[in-house]
Amino acid sequence: MENELLPEERLQPAEKNETGSDGLNKNKDAGTGEKSFFQRLSENKELMVTFHRVFLWLISLLAVISIFVYFIYIIPLLQEIPSPRKGILTNSAELKKEASYKKLISQLNRDVQRFSRKYNGYTTGQSYLVINTTDNIFHLYRNKKQIREGHCSTGSFKMLKTEEGRSWIFKTPKGKFWIQGKITNPPWRRPDWAYVEEGLPIPSQDDASRYEYGVLGDYAMALGDGYLIHGTIYKRFLGMPVTHGCVRLNDEDLKAIFNTLSIGSKVYIF
Amino acid sequence: METENINNMKGKKNGLIIPGIFVFVFFVYYTVMIMLSPLKMVEEFREQFSYKQSEKNKVDERIFSDSSYLKLYKEKAWLQSKIAMAETDSIYLTINLPDSTVNLEISGVIVHSANIKRQIISKILKNGDEYIISSLLARPFTISNNYSSIPKMPLMIKMAPKDTSEYKPDIIPDTADYEPVNYVMEMENGIVILVYQEEKLNPGDRLHLFGFDLKYRLRNILNAMKSILTFKVPEYHPFIKLRLPRTDSKIIYRALPEHGQIAVYR
Repeated sequence: MENELLPEERLQPAEKNETGSDGLNKNKDAGTGEKSFFQRLSENKELMVTFHRVFLWLISLLAVISIFVYFIYIIPLLQEIPSPRKGILTNSAELKKEASYKKLISQLNRDVQRFSRKYNGYTTGQSYLVINTTDNIFHLYRNKKQIREGHCSTGSFKMLKTEEGRSWIFKTPKGKFWIQGKITNPPWRRPDWAYVEEGLPIPSQDDASRYEYGVLGDYAMALGDGYLIHGTIYKRFLGMPVTHGCVRLNDEDLKAIFNTLSIGSKVYIF
Repeated sequence: METENINNMKGKKNGLIIPGIFVFVFFVYYTVMIMLSPLKMVEEFREQFSYKQSEKNKVDERIFSDSSYLKLYKEKAWLQSKIAMAETDSIYLTINLPDSTVNLEISGVIVHSANIKRQIISKILKNGDEYIISSLLARPFTISNNYSSIPKMPLMIKMAPKDTSEYKPDIIPDTADYEPVNYVMEMENGIVILVYQEEKLNPGDRLHLFGFDLKYRLRNILNAMKSILTFKVPEYHPFIKLRLPRTDSKIIYRALPEHGQIAVYR
């Protein structure tokens, strides 16, 4: 308690000095003030214990972070240190003269040419269509050159479920397909999901009410399993994933594709 | 009292020193085992893919250090791998590291191309024996596991309305999704291909990438720990890290099948 009172007592003469004593005395007093502050800190045991604890906590925290960084980031870097010896290329001139070497190289050359021809042969000059379902874009190719591109609409990735346990996933299939049929002024035969989706009762399979005209545009091309490339009356949705699995196009693109592709033409969907 | 305190302090210090030594020894042991793992992988590759001499087809060993031979062999391996995938009807990916391009292909037809903005490759794959690595790359890799920040199939479940009164027409989908696209594809042969989006679209993306990367690294540490604690050298996974534009990353991830195939040319 005495110690705690000391600084206050020391401050009093310093205040008095402001009125009468010189600057030298002022500095002296200020020095005594600082000294007493640190003294006060070091003599305050509770404060020192708190400082000590905080310091230990900080050290521990730093250690934990270091361990974390070591395991997460340093170790994977260390793994890259023991690099395998890079093979030295000798390119022996003697070897190059040997008949067995020449034979092996010519065999390899033939293999590379053969594989190269085979691989290049996969892309034919015939017309084909590429559909990107992520960005809803199509590309039409003829003679290995792109002749048209534009927006389309593909599957919405919606899963329609009924309380009875029936379900449909509206996605456009991916992979290699070919045009299996071409139709002009196609009617739309509404499948069961079209009724379920709107909460309507499902009619019999051959019911006349299932057929709708004019909703699929002027043309349709069948890809198999009921999937079609067709037109749409919802042109504002082109470029968006909104369909039940078919590929929708605008009227001009549909006509161009219909006229370019023939039955058997490839359609690549990814 | 003072001597008791001093003894207590000494006891506490001893109590800290012994676990400290254990922790240090474990650190050293862990580090050594981890550093051994790539060497083990190199040995495994050597055993699997080095040329096996036989009485019938004896080859001069010097050929494996001949640049003309290795160049052709590498080319052949790349084509072989691509043809093997083209024979299937599936969608696959080809990664040409020297050209910095990735192609999505179906039956040998390139359906989508993208430029690699940045690439980091494991030293094993980069500096490894040319013949061994080319032999490894001669067969397409098959994806065994995918870890991604986006779903493979963005499925939305909708319950059918009971009658027309419950029916609500579909809302126009929100195409302005800015979800960062980062994914890791683990191959059956132990190689890992990491694809991260190039662009930082918003400040949260950097944090998102950090979180995604951290989760994957923690998973690897856990697996390594399991091996190390049973005194086994952990598995090393040679990696190919690619930075691609976001749209391309998304297209590739969504297009590749769950267990799709990938060919790499380096």
